[in-house]
Amino acid sequence: MFESQAEVIERDDFCSLAPIGWLHHKMQDSFFLVVGTGSCQGFLQTALGVMIFAKPRFATAVLDEDDLGGADPLTGLRPLLAAVVAEHAPRAIFLASTCTPEILKMNVAGCATPLEAEFGVRVYPCRLDGFDAAYTQGEDHVLQAMIERAPTTDEKNLVVLGCLSALEEAEIRIECAAMGLPVPRFLPAESALDLPAIGPNTVLAPVHPYLYNAVAYAKRERGCELHKTIFPYGPDGARAFYETLAAAFGKSVSYADREREAWAALATQTAPLRGKTIAFSSDAMVELPLARTLRAAGATVSLVGTPNVYKKFHAAEMATLAGVEVLERPDRFELFARLSADRPDLVVANLNIANPLEGMGFAVKWSTELTFQPIHGFSGASSLFAMFSSALRRHEALAARRARDGAPGAPINLDFFRLAAGARA
Amino acid sequence: MKLAIWSYQAPAHVGVSKAAASFSRIHCVLRAPKGDGYGTIMLAMFERLGVMPPLSVCAMSEATLAGAAANLPAVLREVDQRFAPEMIVVTRSATAAVLQEPLDGEVAMMAAGDVKAEIFMASTHPVRDTEVSAFALTTRELIERFAQDVPRSERPSVNIIGPSLLGFHDRSNVESLRRTLAAVGIEINAVVPLGSSPDDLRGIGRAWVNIPLAHELAKPTVEFLRERFGTPFVEQLPYGEAGTTRFLRELCGLCEIPAQRIAAAAKESQLLWYARTVDAHALSSKRVAVFGTPTAAAGIARVLHEELDMEVEFVGTYVLEWAGWLRERVADITSNVLISDDYRAVAREIDRVRPDIMFGTQMERHSASAVGVPCAVVAPPAHILNFPLGYAPFVGYDGANHIGDLVNQTQVLGLEHHLIETFGPRGQGRFAEAAPEPENVAVPVAAGDVAADEGPRWDAAAEKLLGRVPFFVRKKARTNVEKYARERQIAVIDESVLLRAREHVGG
Repeated sequence: MFESQAEVIERDDFCSLAPIGWLHHKMQDSFFLVVGTGSCQGFLQTALGVMIFAKPRFATAVLDEDDLGGADPLTGLRPLLAAVVAEHAPRAIFLASTCTPEILKMNVAGCATPLEAEFGVRVYPCRLDGFDAAYTQGEDHVLQAMIERAPTTDEKNLVVLGCLSALEEAEIRIECAAMGLPVPRFLPAESALDLPAIGPNTVLAPVHPYLYNAVAYAKRERGCELHKTIFPYGPDGARAFYETLAAAFGKSVSYADREREAWAALATQTAPLRGKTIAFSSDAMVELPLARTLRAAGATVSLVGTPNVYKKFHAAEMATLAGVEVLERPDRFELFARLSADRPDLVVANLNIANPLEGMGFAVKWSTELTFQPIHGFSGASSLFAMFSSALRRHEALAARRARDGAPGAPINLDFFRLAAGARA
Repeated sequence: MKLAIWSYQAPAHVGVSKAAASFSRIHCVLRAPKGDGYGTIMLAMFERLGVMPPLSVCAMSEATLAGAAANLPAVLREVDQRFAPEMIVVTRSATAAVLQEPLDGEVAMMAAGDVKAEIFMASTHPVRDTEVSAFALTTRELIERFAQDVPRSERPSVNIIGPSLLGFHDRSNVESLRRTLAAVGIEINAVVPLGSSPDDLRGIGRAWVNIPLAHELAKPTVEFLRERFGTPFVEQLPYGEAGTTRFLRELCGLCEIPAQRIAAAAKESQLLWYARTVDAHALSSKRVAVFGTPTAAAGIARVLHEELDMEVEFVGTYVLEWAGWLRERVADITSNVLISDDYRAVAREIDRVRPDIMFGTQMERHSASAVGVPCAVVAPPAHILNFPLGYAPFVGYDGANHIGDLVNQTQVLGLEHHLIETFGPRGQGRFAEAAPEPENVAVPVAAGDVAADEGPRWDAAAEKLLGRVPFFVRKKARTNVEKYARERQIAVIDESVLLRAREHVGG
């Protein structure tokens, strides 16, 4: 998949276990069982910990020294599944292999079929690791596992792929009805057992740019037709998404007026972005479409860092970014050097560099929010642009007041703790 | 395999990283998949660092699985160049350990002078060690590496062992001890690891006495220093007013300082007087329980029992290997000692005992609240709320005041409690009755307004979709959508009107 053999020093994004946070919310009858180390458990606790008290539908099967020594994982998993089934009664369990089972070449996926037979609960094997995948690709792997179990069909139907909120789904449903298209099926739906039929005549419409593997699998194994256009972020993305959908069903529909109206309605949110320069560090793999629609809104994008660019899958987005520098997996310090040279008005960054970048004097928009806010389609565009414009407005307002009052609000560095501890000067 | 949902302690590599990254001019490199590197996020977020944290990940990738060698030398060179530390501590996560990469060999093969920093391989075991034991061992190892023979300081001085980045109220705790120690005329030689540089460590032997702030984190270090330099350490825990006084008496004895000076240090402490005031009288009938790290549990339990006269139902810790130490420390307070690293077992005990106030970790706060028991958070694991901007110590005289405040904030105040017991909660209602009830207030124009403008109606589907908007913005969303509809004279709000409104006004 990657050409370079050299390891990167540090990637500024999370582990691909992170999507469990939204996927277990979406699929109310699911349970995620992560086969890994105490570190996986610690990550889930740190990243998703706020939900722990509501009887979380995720847990880690922590490998012990027997497992590391090569014990059969099925023996270890059996009592754990029994406990999960007894306590949560899920209708489907996602059995996730992580870094350590991969290193051990432990056949976690092979346990799915016997466990499913034994407990009478659907078991989807998936791989959620912290090696190279962007964190959002955890969803990609989960959806691929679900597609593998989806029934086939010869019917010409429409499947919208990617985890969306009820609001975002409602828009797509309404627009499809207005265009006279088949009623769309969504994957994932609210039940983990609710799988749409996917066959050679299915039009598969991915809504997130990080679903490469699931899409590639469906195309390869089911021969379905891929809805190839830009992703439905921003009015420009929404228009292309719907028009291309209509075309896939032999209809010609124009959303030109709809797009024009939408931009007019968005003036309050987009005006502060006009003439501003925005840079993306690499994080959630949603950078390409966001850069595209921000440019359409009048912003300048100086740099797009993104975890992976898939040539064909991202071709339409890349075409809209002609002339913009796109860096795949940028080195962190090279990225900092570029930012220092370009001095963008806003940097979009993951949490582990967000505060340090603020400390370096950049206005930062933390990027994790971009993956759990409903920002798709026409109806999400307002929230989408507001996230960027409010970050800019806040930064500018606070900087102006600090300057007026002569109060620098200097960033905390390590000397702060050294001095607090009473270090001799 | 063991099913784990939440745990009190992080894996060993987090303990090593916390210790190593807390020193000044020392950088920590973690060999692990990038997914294990979330310690950097905790440092950047919890400590609000405006600079890159002194922790870097040498990331394992798919290429590693395919047999590519670790890129450790390149990472070490990069860290050396970017951060210019004196030392780079290398550790690995359990996942990396499984691969059994010859990291030592890679480092050994680097040419002399390739990196200026000294490379130090931490010796903790990534699976058998815990966050606490790994922190304690790493702190000792680094001190052992740097400590040199130095003359004792002229004036009495101490090392404070245990405070770190991502520690529990550690910045405040150090400040509180500093104020207290200054008042009795004792200097701080070094705070380890928080902020100490290799130079500070070279001079660690100057101190007259060592203070283990958290015994479970400091024990290997203070024992090493006693062995190496004959430096004694304080056994008393500086929790509470009387506790801090006992602690200072022991410390002054070791420093050959007249104990009369302690009175000056204690002059702003109010806890023992507070205990005598009327508000605190009701505390005697209160049943409490304490759960946390061994030092915090032992220290807080003694304050509650001896200084506030509360009844301690049980004391406990999740640091399993410290069970004996804790039992011994609280033997005169209670024989009910709960040793468990399973938060559900602790929750069950809280539910069974139903103390009036629980003192625990953030987890006990939730477990207690589920059964209607108030809880004060007094021990790690630290939560973002345990990184206050201001001063909130748990140790020393200022810490005693803060503990008193916590007790106050967590329970119904004494006099208030007494009044409610006597007159019942309706006593407050009488005053409320004096004010007219809202429905009795005549607002003459209201009826007409409603008749004139019934407002847009919601159809069932739109109402259902609105129900899917998060509850905390739902009310605002409803108002916005109705405003949108009214402005456009739309009588019935259906799903598409809701979405159109969202397009215009967001939310």
